[in-house]
Amino acid sequence: MTATLESPVTSVLERRYRKLLLAYPRPYRQAHGDELLDVLMESTDADRTIPPPREVAGLVAGGIRTRVIHLAGGSVWRDGLHLGVTAVAVANLAALVPYAAAIPLWTALSALSVLAVLRGWVWVAIPLTVAVGVKAVAVAGGWQVAELTQVPVYPGLLTGRALFSDSAPVTVTVAYGLVVVGLLAPAPRGGVTRARSWWWWAAIPFLAWDGPAWMIEEHNLPISLSRMGLELALMAAAAVAGYLTRDLRWALGCAFYLAVTVVGVTLLTLPENGVILSSQHLAYGALLALLTAATALLPLRQRRHALD
Amino acid sequence: MSRGSSVSEQTYFVLAALLDGPLHGHAILKRVVELSQDRVKLAVGTLYGALDRLTGSGVIMVEKEEIVNGRKRRYFRITDDGRRLVEEEALRMQQAAAVVTGRTLGATFS
Repeated sequence: MTATLESPVTSVLERRYRKLLLAYPRPYRQAHGDELLDVLMESTDADRTIPPPREVAGLVAGGIRTRVIHLAGGSVWRDGLHLGVTAVAVANLAALVPYAAAIPLWTALSALSVLAVLRGWVWVAIPLTVAVGVKAVAVAGGWQVAELTQVPVYPGLLTGRALFSDSAPVTVTVAYGLVVVGLLAPAPRGGVTRARSWWWWAAIPFLAWDGPAWMIEEHNLPISLSRMGLELALMAAAAVAGYLTRDLRWALGCAFYLAVTVVGVTLLTLPENGVILSSQHLAYGALLALLTAATALLPLRQRRHALD
Repeated sequence: MSRGSSVSEQTYFVLAALLDGPLHGHAILKRVVELSQDRVKLAVGTLYGALDRLTGSGVIMVEKEEIVNGRKRRYFRITDDGRRLVEEEALRMQQAAAVVTGRTLGATFS
């Protein structure tokens, strides 16, 4: 015997199913939510008030899958590049946040540039990124631009290291320059740059904090566990999204972020900079490269098995 | 299904369920259980995920929509591509099964 919509017992069940359907994006719920609810109620024993675990798992997995598929709209090239640009812009802001008390204007302008990138306001984001980038490069090089800034810039929170103490001016130039290049890159098939999630702001403390320590403190280019955890989690999520959607935009975003990181580190390790990478750096870099490769290969594998 | 196959067991039974005519979601669930002799029981979220993907791939399509108790109900129909796909898969499995069943029968009568 299956549940009907009238009995008081099933109204509890229906309410619980409705809560589970929140796993699906709103447009999908509006279009098909009642249809799914009908089938769920017809498929469930009338005396149940708690949804069977199998249905709970199916709805949560189906909802997440549908949400990810809904994210994969528009031009792959433009959206994938915008994803990578957003990640690098957020990392650039996170690099300044611990020093906000010393350089409040530039941190605020950097936050505005991230806001513009997130909202897809390309022509607002570009001048802001250029302005903050010029100042950042100047600080990294010990030069004065726009206003007098005492260098080195010491932190107020989250880290104990001076601003850009591990970065050469050329590395900072790459980090900001590629954001501008990414924003300017034309999409082969046009399309608009869409707004991205507000959740990107939540990434900033993880990227800005230099703890918990993983590498020897005195080592050049320390990578914190909080940063590692976030980068690995986001890239793993990108690989899952690529698997579910058979779409290459996540791979493009990860490759852009990885390219900025790799180019920056490579420039830093040129002989004149005297920086030597540890086996931990290489292992972590290999892991990021592996995850980026997975974001590209999983959609291709899935395309051959298009029905599953 | 096995490695190298393009259709999972769940997808195979969903397509097979539609071979006799268009069905709505709950009817597909029941038909899949019958055809698989209780082996394949799809969760509703899993079924609709599969129906969305199969519709996107063009192997099934929405035949019609009805309003029942004030709520929309879609009927899904298998397309010619879908019918060809499930028939090819059945033939492939038949040939694969014959490799083993032929050997077993041969051993029985030898």
